[in-house]
Amino acid sequence: MTFAYGWRSLARLSRAEWTKFRTVRGWVLGMAVAVLVTVGLGLFSASGSHSSCGGPSDVCPAVPLGPGGEAVDDKFFFVHRTLDGDGSITVRVTSLTGRIRLPDATPGVRRVVPGVEPWAKAGVMIKDGTRQGAAYAALMVTGRHGVRMQHDFVHDTAGGRSGVSQAAPRWLRLTRAGDELTGYESADGTRWAKVGTARPAGLPAAVQVGLFAACPGDLTVRQADLGGAVAALRFAEATAAFDHVAVRGGTSGGSWRDDDIGAEREPGGAIHHPGGATRAGGVFTVTGNGDIAPRTDGQMVEKTLSGLLAGLIVVIVVAVVFVTAEYRRGLIRTTLLAGPRRGRTLTAKAVVIAAVTFAAGVAAAGVTVPLGAHILRANGDYLLPVGPLTDLRVVAGTAALLAVTAVLALALGTVFRRSAVAITGAIALVVLPRILATTSVLPVDASRWLLRVTPAAGFALQQSVPAYPQVTAFYSPQAGYYPLAPWAGFAVSCGYAVLALALAALVLRRRDA
Amino acid sequence: MRGEATIEVNGLRKRFGPTLALDGMSFTVRPGRVTGFVGPNGAGKSTTMRVVLGLDAADEGTALVGGRPYRSLREPLRHVGALLDAAALQPSRSARGHLLWLAHSQGLGARRVDEVIEQVGLRSAARRKAGGFSLGMRQRLGIAAALLGDPPVLMLDEPVNGLDPEGVIWIRGLLRSLAAQGRAVLVSSHLMGELQGTADHLIVVGRGRVIADTGVTELIAAVSRGRVAVRTPEPERAMRTLARAGATVTVSGSDALAVSRSETFAASGNGPLTVSGGEAFAVSGGEAFAVSGGDLLTVSGLPGERIVALLTADSVPFSEVVAQRATLEEAYLELTRDAVEFHAGTGREAVR
Amino acid sequence: MRELRAEWTKLRTLPSTFWLLLAAVALTVTVSAAAAAIVSCPSAGCRYDAPKIGLSGVQAGQAIVVILAVLSAGGEYGTGMIRTTLTAMPRRTAVLAAKATLLTALTSAAGTAAVLGSVLAARLILPGNGFVPAHGYPTLSLADGPTLRAAAGSVVYLALIALLGLGVATAVRDSATAIGLVFGLLYVLSVLPYLVTDPYWGRFLWRISPMNAGLAVQSTAHLSSLPVGPWAGLCVLAAWAGAGLLTGGLLFRLRDA
Repeated sequence: MTFAYGWRSLARLSRAEWTKFRTVRGWVLGMAVAVLVTVGLGLFSASGSHSSCGGPSDVCPAVPLGPGGEAVDDKFFFVHRTLDGDGSITVRVTSLTGRIRLPDATPGVRRVVPGVEPWAKAGVMIKDGTRQGAAYAALMVTGRHGVRMQHDFVHDTAGGRSGVSQAAPRWLRLTRAGDELTGYESADGTRWAKVGTARPAGLPAAVQVGLFAACPGDLTVRQADLGGAVAALRFAEATAAFDHVAVRGGTSGGSWRDDDIGAEREPGGAIHHPGGATRAGGVFTVTGNGDIAPRTDGQMVEKTLSGLLAGLIVVIVVAVVFVTAEYRRGLIRTTLLAGPRRGRTLTAKAVVIAAVTFAAGVAAAGVTVPLGAHILRANGDYLLPVGPLTDLRVVAGTAALLAVTAVLALALGTVFRRSAVAITGAIALVVLPRILATTSVLPVDASRWLLRVTPAAGFALQQSVPAYPQVTAFYSPQAGYYPLAPWAGFAVSCGYAVLALALAALVLRRRDA
Repeated sequence: MRGEATIEVNGLRKRFGPTLALDGMSFTVRPGRVTGFVGPNGAGKSTTMRVVLGLDAADEGTALVGGRPYRSLREPLRHVGALLDAAALQPSRSARGHLLWLAHSQGLGARRVDEVIEQVGLRSAARRKAGGFSLGMRQRLGIAAALLGDPPVLMLDEPVNGLDPEGVIWIRGLLRSLAAQGRAVLVSSHLMGELQGTADHLIVVGRGRVIADTGVTELIAAVSRGRVAVRTPEPERAMRTLARAGATVTVSGSDALAVSRSETFAASGNGPLTVSGGEAFAVSGGEAFAVSGGDLLTVSGLPGERIVALLTADSVPFSEVVAQRATLEEAYLELTRDAVEFHAGTGREAVR
Repeated sequence: MRELRAEWTKLRTLPSTFWLLLAAVALTVTVSAAAAAIVSCPSAGCRYDAPKIGLSGVQAGQAIVVILAVLSAGGEYGTGMIRTTLTAMPRRTAVLAAKATLLTALTSAAGTAAVLGSVLAARLILPGNGFVPAHGYPTLSLADGPTLRAAAGSVVYLALIALLGLGVATAVRDSATAIGLVFGLLYVLSVLPYLVTDPYWGRFLWRISPMNAGLAVQSTAHLSSLPVGPWAGLCVLAAWAGAGLLTGGLLFRLRDA
């Protein structure tokens, strides 16, 4: 039996199974229903989502985009001067303190207590101007994550783990050589350790070099009454003290300038939550709030695919019946006469149902994603922008998830031969974990585990915006963040499908037809 | 035609829980003739066919089609066409759709599908849902599926079930013409009558094994045991003459031919009177020898011409010498008497 | 009533009936116990609704009840037995009524066992996870009015789910489609409110979802924030079940078997 023959035979059997599929009107109709229900529910939920920024004009401020095209938060206090060509900045950080606002005990009375956010950050930065979203590299001390070197919003490299205090200050140095920026840290200003290098995108010859401070809001998560959780961010700020500030290179005599980058103005014209800087005897004290990080506040494009749950149920029903119908009247015997190699016949069935559902998934997601995004934007929702490749992955991933679920359902149908049991099993394995993880009273950790170990892990393929460990946010399944990376999650789903299919092949081979 | 047109079954054994469905089933089906596969219900016919077709696995033994196990065939429907269960289709698919997927699985095109649809006379119904078909139409669809791959071997399980008389005649002709093309055709039935005039060869099974594997002519001859009916006004002389020549002679009585044939066989072994060669008047069954009324004798062991020659030589008058033939049904009942698994609870029970 | 007797014989001579009921009880109790074991209430306090956690297995157990209900009608269509049934008992409404009565009785019985088991499991497990009087959680007891309402309501909930399943299965005449439909109605409609950000739409969808509204009967805390009250929610589910049965019944009467 040659290899080529095996393929030809599989192709033939697959063609036969395709003929079988398309000649039953109910199944073709089922696929159409799966597409329609996914598109319909998706668009419905998109049109039910409104948001507005308030104010008389109700126009939301433009969200800055980082060099990679992602939406970013770029708000911090920057004390800077121009650096022409190669050079370096060296400072000693002697303290990092801060304030955090707590929930109001008495309504209307602000309660602010001293404290440092884990990701409060202060240090040195080289940035392509003061425009929000401009390329940069920064070397910093943080509240609880030691020294970090970050650049262009999404990149983060860990340095030493120690914090900063009067007794144990930390020296930071950022040098530029051509397009390459290198960060060093030191405890004493003499022995330096390299933290990392960065190549910010398109850095011009003349850049701004200086000191900065920023502090993301304080995150609290509360159990919601109807299931799920409610996350809230409250104002926090950080203050850092620097001395031994030295800039080498082409500074062309320019002086230090202060900029509250990304400051928002209140209707009266005053800056909302202003930062600030003071200079006294070579000691710079910089206070800032906000964050320099990819933005997490906004809708994700995969939200529009929420109708997929209904589409999945329809696909599961069709995939299960595609095989259990053979058992209802004994058609399986005819099928096995035509393809006596049972494993191959089952594979052909799996190939066909996977291909059909993949095509249906591409159609459903391909319509829903652009249309849903359009509706969300028209409703005033801010959609976190993603690249075309990510959009493609969301669409193809949705289709792949449908396909792999269909194969799993087919395998269960083969094993159980009863549609009721197989359909319930497949729904319990794929649809239920996802529903439980996103809308139930389950604790977040339990939800994450559900999405790690069940075939519902494949939903991770839909996540368009990654979770960044260096960014403070509530990365829960409910918020659309899956515990596994997209392809890892898909691999889990595939693993289940392959296992089930192998079991089905084994059972089918052992069993008298 | 591809491959050898044979089915070889060797020592099949299969147990379903407490019942032994196949108990050493062995036979060979040869090309160029219609082989009847007969036996009472539960004798193992369907199980054997399913094992041959790779649907069931035997506990022991082998079943080969054209010298190879079914599951190893590359394009199985081009080697064997089978009709097992005409109801085994999806009700919501059209007849043509059903044949089309089968054709695609063997690398055949739609043209072949239309050919077989034409061949079985389903053209007008081809695009209708198969679920609405009558039993006879489903049977035709099943036969179309069996013919699809133009196979050298055909296996049909009870193909005339549900067909109208016209359909029965059609299928008999079809089977004969398929065999005449050199194919091996195995047709199962639990009614011997269905096979009379169709089958050339018979495999009779009972209780999971082969009872007889023989040509139809031989079988009938064997059951008839070469019997010749002789009508004579002088039965005693005739019996003496014929017995001396080595024949077994039975007095059948004047209206013996009117007696139902099956009854004759059900009673065989303690028949009314048997005269065996060598002994003039051997009486068996303990009954009195009384032939006075009888003028019809059943003679076995001698061909008709020899009987005529012997009687003429001894000047025994006779009016009629007719070679007697048993029917297939009789032969079958004779063979399977012990193999029937379920007797109807009448007759025998009532007599006791 | 002859139909009732015949349907009862039909149900009890089907081994799957017994196993499905047993599975419904086992699954409900297991999931309830697992949920009780998974949550914890730190000393800082928490906002959990203890009886609701203790009864959360109903959300899983209802799946088995749906199978039982759908098969009791859809199974007959799959095998063609429906023709035998209707030949023997031509009064179709009576047949459906008999099926509905028996399903209600069986699921109520199994539901009672499942709910009692769940409450017992939660009562034993929850105090170990910090659900103690010091954190504002007295020991779970059916003597407590709201807890009793949650428990009894859960039994009614399961019975109504069975009736919904029966109605849908009778209407669509195919087990697989019916199961998909009922699960879609229950589970997909239950997440829909969370997918729209508009609060008005969200609450409206929550109110009409058979599972969310029906399970409101399990809530004993934060009742004022529920989009629909406990008993009113159960009425929403009853309306779904009634509509399902009515549609199924009408089609059953009007259509050829």
